[in-house]
Amino acid sequence: MRADGEALVFRRTTIGLLGVLVLSPVGLIIYQSFLDGPFFFPTTGFSLSAFGYVFSDPDFYRALWTTAVFAVGLVAIAVPLGAALAFLLTRTDIKGRSWIEPVVLVPMFLSALVLGFGYTVSVGPSGFVSLAVQDVLGFVPWNIYGLPSLIIIGGLSHVPYVYLYVSSAMRNLPADLEEAARTMGASLPRIAMEVTLPLVLPALVYSAALNFLLAFESFGLPLVLADPSGVLVLTTYLYKLTTLLGVPSYHLMAAVAVLLLIVTLPLVAIQRRLLDRSRRYATVGGKGGRPTRVKLGTAGQIVALAAIGLWLVVSVLLPISGIAVRAFVDSWGQGVDLLEHLTLANFQQLFKISSLSRGLVNTALIAVFGGAIAVAIYLVVALAGHRNASFAAVALDYMVLLPRALPGLVIGLAFFWLFLFVPFLSPLRATLVSLLIAYVVVGLSYGLRMIQSTLLQVSPELEESARTSGASLRRSWTEIVIPIVRPGLFGAWAMIMIIFLREYATGVYLMTSGTEVIGSLIVSLLASGDLATIAALSLISVTFTALGLAVAFRFGAYGK
Amino acid sequence: MLSFLKTSCAAIAFATLAATSALAQATTTTYPAGYSDIVAAAKKEGKVIVYSPTDSGPANALIKAFETKYPGVKVDYNDLSNTAIYNRVVSEFAARQVGGDVVWSVGLDLQVRLVEDGLAERYASPEASHVPGFAKYKDSAYLTSIEPGVILYNKRLVPAALVPKNLTELTKLLKDHKDVFQGKVASWDPEKSGQGYVAMKDDMRHNPGFWPLMSAFGEAGGKIYSNSGQMREKVVSGEEIIAFYVNGAYAAEWVKANPTLGIIYSDDRTSAVSRAALIARNAPHPNAAKLLIDFMLSAEGQKVMGQAGLPSVRSDVDGVPNFKSLNELANGKLQPIALDATLLDNLDKTKRADFFSRWKQAMRR
Repeated sequence: MRADGEALVFRRTTIGLLGVLVLSPVGLIIYQSFLDGPFFFPTTGFSLSAFGYVFSDPDFYRALWTTAVFAVGLVAIAVPLGAALAFLLTRTDIKGRSWIEPVVLVPMFLSALVLGFGYTVSVGPSGFVSLAVQDVLGFVPWNIYGLPSLIIIGGLSHVPYVYLYVSSAMRNLPADLEEAARTMGASLPRIAMEVTLPLVLPALVYSAALNFLLAFESFGLPLVLADPSGVLVLTTYLYKLTTLLGVPSYHLMAAVAVLLLIVTLPLVAIQRRLLDRSRRYATVGGKGGRPTRVKLGTAGQIVALAAIGLWLVVSVLLPISGIAVRAFVDSWGQGVDLLEHLTLANFQQLFKISSLSRGLVNTALIAVFGGAIAVAIYLVVALAGHRNASFAAVALDYMVLLPRALPGLVIGLAFFWLFLFVPFLSPLRATLVSLLIAYVVVGLSYGLRMIQSTLLQVSPELEESARTSGASLRRSWTEIVIPIVRPGLFGAWAMIMIIFLREYATGVYLMTSGTEVIGSLIVSLLASGDLATIAALSLISVTFTALGLAVAFRFGAYGK
Repeated sequence: MLSFLKTSCAAIAFATLAATSALAQATTTTYPAGYSDIVAAAKKEGKVIVYSPTDSGPANALIKAFETKYPGVKVDYNDLSNTAIYNRVVSEFAARQVGGDVVWSVGLDLQVRLVEDGLAERYASPEASHVPGFAKYKDSAYLTSIEPGVILYNKRLVPAALVPKNLTELTKLLKDHKDVFQGKVASWDPEKSGQGYVAMKDDMRHNPGFWPLMSAFGEAGGKIYSNSGQMREKVVSGEEIIAFYVNGAYAAEWVKANPTLGIIYSDDRTSAVSRAALIARNAPHPNAAKLLIDFMLSAEGQKVMGQAGLPSVRSDVDGVPNFKSLNELANGKLQPIALDATLLDNLDKTKRADFFSRWKQAMRR
């Protein structure tokens, strides 16, 4: 009884503190959206003018429409491909599974900004792949700028998100239904379409909703691929508002952010309900014994491997080779022999300029140590919500997803203000602590979800037996639960490292001399147009990410 | 019209000044007697914090020279975009936590706005007498460079017969040679770039050919970018073959490194942007800030920046590109944008909206 009381205090304090951490930036943005100027100006008053401006701006409706088309298109590409990939890798005897499984997740971990640049250099109008194709065909059969290519590239790069959820649902399916269908002579596509997929429908719908949400938040790809030809999505529209009126118009940015929140929040709610249901499904299907895998046959193997190979070439090889090439040359394009322009100057630049070399060190610090601190925080929060069905737990679920529904740029700006205007926080502003706090909030939904699902794998009997033998709740956590999930925590740490490495929007306003990070440096270099340095930084960031991934797979982080 | 007169007067005054001081050669400024006190106080402060979007090349050259001249005063350089700088300055002032000492930005309209809103410290630099009239504002803000807007083109891809001499010719070429230029011309996106907006707005005021040019640009399926670096990248690679209003200070450096590129100073009118430096109100290191401003405007500082690619705003600094040499390149038609209250017009909401709607119409967006 006493133990429960202790845990209640712990649970309420933790969820309360998290509430302050999450709701203060979100609240500040909502407050700012109902003002007619920056909240810190003495002349500012309450007004709906920001919403009035946005609602009367034709660009807003264009951006909203484009975003909707982009989101639908992205889902239409990512979900079928992701589901097919999951089917091939979990239900069939496809060759080379052990190395394909980790590799298919790679596109998920590349920063969208980095991806976008990579594509411009490899398959852009003067990209080296485009020029090679032009030599053969006499023309370039594609154009990477504009909505259609944005949808295709966005769709292909989001396949792993679908794969991740659908494959974990499929792993739990018993094989007898598929076997039965096979014995009756059903073809492979028919088995997939009529037996397997209906069984994982909740996971499919869930990943569709997730990808729809991700498309609404997507910023890097639309900025590089759609912006130059004048195609706006909501996030790039919001970015444009920072300069449109000459002086930064925070109330307009905030209003758009609030509108984004209104659009995405119902999606988050749907997602949450679906996730509950899909978990339930998975348990129903969970039977012991290794499933026998459907046989593909030689032709099937070739087709399946070729399709996966083609997808990997387009969504991993093309962008990364683009970045790698640009990082080592000083000129490229039509009539340029790349070999004549090889140089290491772009990398030397990184070590000559103190802000860039600091950025490398800071990024490593934030990813490795900040990642570990973040995992510790997420673990405490996860325990506070663990096996807890109270109102606080529901509140926690929504709170966690709130910052996800806002663009990183806006969350970063809100934290910049908090660290500037809240007196006891201001000494932290020029330190990495301010960035870490913002990162912890931005990475909350990913990180917490990962740790929650790891905790759920510990069967309740173990905790219960510890409690029956008289252990306090705290003791049952520190001596039973945490030791059991330790490998899972290492995996989560590696994933958080990658997410922190990839992050770029959050630091744009927050970073200052001494707290530079690679991702945000790329955004600020983009403003001055120093693409050679951007490429070198991106390549280093991709290398860091690859290292992080290697660590993650070493600890078996995926598929949990 | 009034502003046109102002700029032309400024240009004439400047030209005269250039002529007289060329005779005098690089004048060494006599600093006031109490200046050593400022130097001592600056050393005590130990550092000066700069907010600027200037590229690392010229910025590093300046920092190195300054730190060598004043050992003990470190420069803490923050690379920020124009709007991020303005955001920082106003937010930090409101929060009473001013973090920047010297604000050095190409967003000229925002700089004038800071002065007008009382967010800049008044400081009459002893070097100010060497700086032309159009380059100083209310003893608070000073222009430190001359950066002409040029046409940048890819020599491999633009046929020699179709290289324009000026913007008027470019307008005609875009119309008459669609086969060459269609979809391959680049310029600023004024909605996203403060620097681009200032340059375009200035050309709109003084060049009657501005709107026809925009219209031809739009018809040619022109692409727009938010900085000169991106335009360079596109023109180098051949994705675009020609770009206009590109920052000529940077372009001149690129041409040196990359023989594929060529630049043209429009021979009927070349406008020039610049970057303005000021001391933030309540700056935490005010004396070090004064030293840096004086150094930036001094013959020594101007030469250092000139060698690193930012042409000198003074006319008595030899061996580096300066107003005189650039004016010769521009056929005597170089017209720098004056640092004055006219720039505040750029921030007027209605005028902005009008400009953008007309621009969008011309661009067919």
